[in-house]
Amino acid sequence: MFIHNFKYTLRILFKNKALIFWTFAFPIILGTFFSMAFSDIEKNETLDIIEIAVVDNEAFQNNIIFKEAFKALSDKENEERLFHTRYVKEEEAKELLEQGQIAGYLLLEDTPKVVVAESGIDGTILKQAAEEILQSGEIMKNTGGFGILEGGASIADISDSHLSYTMIEFYTLIAMTCLYGGILGMYAINQNLPDMGSKGKRVAVSPVAKGKLVFGSILASYVVQLIGMALLFAYTVFVLKVDYGDRLLLIILLAMAGCLAGLTLGVAVAAVFKADDNLKTGIIISVTMLGCFLSGMMGITMKYIIDKNVPLINKLNPASMITDGFYSLYYYDTLERFYFDIASLLIFAFIMTGISMLRLRRQKYDSI
Amino acid sequence: MIVFKTFLKVLNKCKTPIIMYTVFLLFFSVFNMRTSGSSLSFVASKPDILIINEDEEAGITESLVKYLEKNSNIIEIDEDEDAIRDALFYRDVNCIIYIPENFRKDFLDKKNPEVRIKSTGDYQASLAELLLERYLKTANSYNETVGSEEELLKMLDATLSKQVDTELASKLDTGSLEKAGFYYNFTNYCILAGSIYVICLILSSFKNEGIRKRTMVSSMDYKAYNRKLLLSNSLFAAAMWLFYVILSFPLLGKIMFTRHGLVYIVNSFIFSFCALTIAFLIGNLVEEKNAINGIVNVIALGSSFLCGAFVPMEWLPAAVLKIAHILPSYWYIKTNEMMKGIETVNMETMKPVFINMAVILGFSLLFITAANVISAKKRRLG
Repeated sequence: MFIHNFKYTLRILFKNKALIFWTFAFPIILGTFFSMAFSDIEKNETLDIIEIAVVDNEAFQNNIIFKEAFKALSDKENEERLFHTRYVKEEEAKELLEQGQIAGYLLLEDTPKVVVAESGIDGTILKQAAEEILQSGEIMKNTGGFGILEGGASIADISDSHLSYTMIEFYTLIAMTCLYGGILGMYAINQNLPDMGSKGKRVAVSPVAKGKLVFGSILASYVVQLIGMALLFAYTVFVLKVDYGDRLLLIILLAMAGCLAGLTLGVAVAAVFKADDNLKTGIIISVTMLGCFLSGMMGITMKYIIDKNVPLINKLNPASMITDGFYSLYYYDTLERFYFDIASLLIFAFIMTGISMLRLRRQKYDSI
Repeated sequence: MIVFKTFLKVLNKCKTPIIMYTVFLLFFSVFNMRTSGSSLSFVASKPDILIINEDEEAGITESLVKYLEKNSNIIEIDEDEDAIRDALFYRDVNCIIYIPENFRKDFLDKKNPEVRIKSTGDYQASLAELLLERYLKTANSYNETVGSEEELLKMLDATLSKQVDTELASKLDTGSLEKAGFYYNFTNYCILAGSIYVICLILSSFKNEGIRKRTMVSSMDYKAYNRKLLLSNSLFAAAMWLFYVILSFPLLGKIMFTRHGLVYIVNSFIFSFCALTIAFLIGNLVEEKNAINGIVNVIALGSSFLCGAFVPMEWLPAAVLKIAHILPSYWYIKTNEMMKGIETVNMETMKPVFINMAVILGFSLLFITAANVISAKKRRLG
């Protein structure tokens, strides 16, 4: 009987088009949108060569320091090149600025002046560069012609790798899929509930142990959920090139724990709320979306803000546990944080199961 | 009137998603506004940095910290390794600067101490590095020639305080325009999702076979019935547009009373009309009520992501923007983006804007034609 129910639940789930769309296709479509929209963000945040102009007047021609410095900063061969510089008349510089072709221009009269179109990073860099040149002239004067010396105190860059924060978007996507899987569990359990339809009534009066039936339905939903998850993983890894780190077994473990949390959430919703399918689905979707929102799906900093200011919320939020698990696998070398997340997910699943069991066992109806 | 009444009845049923889209819009607009201030004089960008100073705060070390404090935003974070790592990952800080123990002593003894940094690699981090580098270079240069620390600090201070005047050429209030652009770009999602969802649901309710048969045998003229349905839907789209426009006034303020604001309003009106035609087409295509939710999400989210409603257009890959040309949202958002750079609004500068609007109207025409062809084919009941 267990196998029979398991088999038929699988068929029922796979035949429900709306269900399969939301749990299989929608995450893949959303992931594709994410990847299209976010793939260039981080590239755009690195410093590009800035388009500028220098007013080529007498003062500039006579000022060797400025002339040489701008030549060096615009040199294609120079690794620390900052600018692409045009040497033009003042009128022309104004025009270029108005047309948005340059970020700003430098005008050298008695003192140097920088003119920019708007406040921002490009203007700041131009201002800083001009100041640095001005200041190195001072140093020259003060040190009696020695100028800037090499050596002395220095900077050592010890930055971490794995700093791509847009990855969080994809981790929340996985979290969303895990929790959406709850709809599968809910749907399967509804088949066994007498108050949800005639099929449930027939099941209830049949001489079969209800535990077996419920377990069969849940297991079938879990299998469907894992298949969907495997597809999503394959798609994000091979097509979208999402980086989950390289600890494959732990990644799978996390995905399975996440799916279990989603599934038990769905089962609990099915068991606790006496409502129709639509309302139960609505509850699961709302919980999922709220959870994903708090773990950074609609703005990555949201997760950080919550983690920093009200950590308790994200400690209770299954979407955040999943996202945080992937994040710690990607960014951290140690595994403490990861195991904490896994444990939280399992505890969450355990509590949800407990609630469902209390509600599902020994149900009696005088009339329906 | 009876058609309109039924229309209102169905509309009442689907108010939840509309409220949800509006809440999203409000939340993100307010969130966005908090972050960008507006100013008419030049404001230098300041990187967010965290200084971890293991040296005593005196002499050259104190001077370095002060210099960094002046030129960047210092972020306070608990001295907990995890918290610091998280802050860097989520760009709460762009650069962490570790000043080593005995920095002051080693520096004065010319032992070449090393200042370690961890950066995010973005432009703010580059700026932070630039500042630190300049300070160290200047300090190194004076350290060679000057005898005492006191004199060194004095010269350092004198040199580093030399500034270059910076002037803003444009009189555009870029901050407000930026906000207005963000708000109206985001309405792309609300208008599309709202109209497709509501209109599809209403059309499919009217298409219910029993209702359709009753309408057909009733004395009401088929054309009048269609006209009324179309009118009610247009009324809904117009009401939604008006709602978002009115909402933009308290949120965006002054800018909405300028010519720029007027262009945003007109542009969103034309786009709302286009969204109405899209909704009509989809409503005619889709038979099943269950499918509506999926279609709304795919079309509204897709257009919004690909055309730059959520992520600014300038940050999208070129290939994505090319694909986006086939979507009306692209032309709508393009106008909003253009308005940020246009100083005076007149016939001459508005030419490209008119072209964008014409393209959106062209799309609408296409959708109306397609919807008519399809509904003509489907009119017969088997």
